[in-house]
Amino acid sequence: MKFSISASIVIAAIGIHAIVLPALYFGLNVVVSRSHLNVFVQHVRTLSRNLAEELELSDALDSQQRVLDTLDQAILNGDGDFAELVDNGREIRSSLNAPGISWQGRQDFTVGSGSGHEYFIALPISRPNHSAELRLGFDERPTFEEIQVAMRRTLWVLVGYLGAAVAVAIVWSYRLSRPVVELQHAARKIAEGDYVQTLRLRTGILELHRLGNDLEYMRGELVGVNKRLQVEMRDKQLAEERHRELEGRLRHRQRLETVGTLAGGIAHEFNNILLPIVLFAEAALAESPEHSSVHEDLQEILTQANRAKIIVDKILTFSRDAGAPALEVMDLEPVVREAIRLFSVLVPSSVEVHVNLSGPYPAVRADAAMTMQIIMNLCTNAYQSLGGVNGTVSIGLSTSSESVVEVGGSPNIGHVVLSVADSGHGMDSATVDRIFEPFFTTRGVSAGTGLGLSVVHGIATSFGATISVDSAIGRGTTFKVFFPVVLASPVVQASAAIESPNNDLG
Amino acid sequence: MKNVLVIDDEPAIRRALRRVLESAGYSVRVAENGAEGIDELKNLPIDIVIADIIMPHMHGVDAIKAIAREFPQVRIVAISGGGNFRPAEYKPHTIVTEAYLAAAMAAGAHAVLTKPFSTQDVMLAMSAAFADSEGSRTLD
Repeated sequence: MKFSISASIVIAAIGIHAIVLPALYFGLNVVVSRSHLNVFVQHVRTLSRNLAEELELSDALDSQQRVLDTLDQAILNGDGDFAELVDNGREIRSSLNAPGISWQGRQDFTVGSGSGHEYFIALPISRPNHSAELRLGFDERPTFEEIQVAMRRTLWVLVGYLGAAVAVAIVWSYRLSRPVVELQHAARKIAEGDYVQTLRLRTGILELHRLGNDLEYMRGELVGVNKRLQVEMRDKQLAEERHRELEGRLRHRQRLETVGTLAGGIAHEFNNILLPIVLFAEAALAESPEHSSVHEDLQEILTQANRAKIIVDKILTFSRDAGAPALEVMDLEPVVREAIRLFSVLVPSSVEVHVNLSGPYPAVRADAAMTMQIIMNLCTNAYQSLGGVNGTVSIGLSTSSESVVEVGGSPNIGHVVLSVADSGHGMDSATVDRIFEPFFTTRGVSAGTGLGLSVVHGIATSFGATISVDSAIGRGTTFKVFFPVVLASPVVQASAAIESPNNDLG
Repeated sequence: MKNVLVIDDEPAIRRALRRVLESAGYSVRVAENGAEGIDELKNLPIDIVIADIIMPHMHGVDAIKAIAREFPQVRIVAISGGGNFRPAEYKPHTIVTEAYLAAAMAAGAHAVLTKPFSTQDVMLAMSAAFADSEGSRTLD
């Protein structure tokens, strides 16, 4: 069975008083009864002694009438309700004795006991020639009633005390339980994830005040941790979105390029077919008589050949427009990191991928998906040049103020340099001369289309970037793509004008 | 009568060019690839070569480079398949035509033609090639 703090305190208060108050009541009962008894007995004895002394010192015993008068006077004074004198065996009773009362012999005060309500006392009186005894009786009931009134008052006081004690217990239990309940609600809210509201606990109880402070501190920490987590989650989400977007753009571009390459191939073949058609038709037309049906037929052939040529042009124009890159001012580093991540997944463990990035780098004008393709093509080329044996591929960014190319006579403001280096077998100078030609490959037909590096060259050129190749047999190859820095970029740094040395892995 | 050598791997194109050029009064020889073409040049006095720049065995641009080096008196017209347009910017599928034509000019061609072309285009290109002065030829 479980009780709330309030109920527990009230039950405890009532329980304690249920034991203490009856004991207190009976204790007080005894004390009050005895004190009243003592007062009564002392009073009675004093009165009796005074009366006995009066009879002893006077000669009243010599006259029966004087004895009667003395006894009557004692009762009239309110000192008792029974008085008699036994003198030499002769009983003299007051005529004012209460009816129905007779001498019962000496006895103690008996509060509330049975029928006897009279307290009797007997005192000997010494007089010459007299052997006398004064017998007096006093009514016990007024004293008994006083005791009862006093006990009733005590009971009411104790009942009042019990009520006050319970009221105080209720008030204190509320003061104790209210902050505990507030703490409980705050803890539950935190557990349910609602911890934005500040906890302000108003209590005079030191321990609860400290507990409230501790809980508030814990809540504050949770809010901080939660904010950090939210920021991290948002960053992660943004990175994933960017990754998805980049992948989507890359896929889209690759699809367009596949279509474009296919269209280019079709155009090439069609043009090879159309050329003899046109030339033979023109030759035949020149030799056929004008206005003849053959002449008209040949002209029709030329017209239709021209239509075919226009359709081929349209296919190529469509491919060109669909694949047009939209250049933007951008930071290369995230794209390079993404490309490295993709590349690292693709290559076997025999290839060690080194990364040299120590940004921030100045902004350049490029297209993220196409830049990604540059990096992937260069990395793929580097990986293939290792020829399946162990080796390293180093990818990095640096800055350079080297005068590589003057674009349209504009002032050279430096470049961001993308470098991809491999530890492969390298190339001779004749191969290097032709490396960017379309369909040129050193690896045979099955290893690739031979378009990879020509595509890199084409994309780089469209960005206004230039490419350098540093290679020698047995020394590996380093490709560098120089992206011109965009002047208006806020991240341009004058101090970054020197190409970092850790980039050159030859 | 001018002697013309047509180098193209497509038999139909060889026949078609022979047909229109002979009709125009030229003496025409044909070769399937660059190596054959150079053999012909060695055997016969040739005034002008019309060479496709995408061919098997010997690369068309290499063939033009070799002809320009060994036979500097011979005029050269480079022909190429591909789109009949000049793109404003890079496109992967146009790099064949654009890059090869530029390479052919750099290798020593006097004029270029993009397929498909008319008889009149061939005549104009040949006239341009003959009109081109010796000094304009660039060799490396």
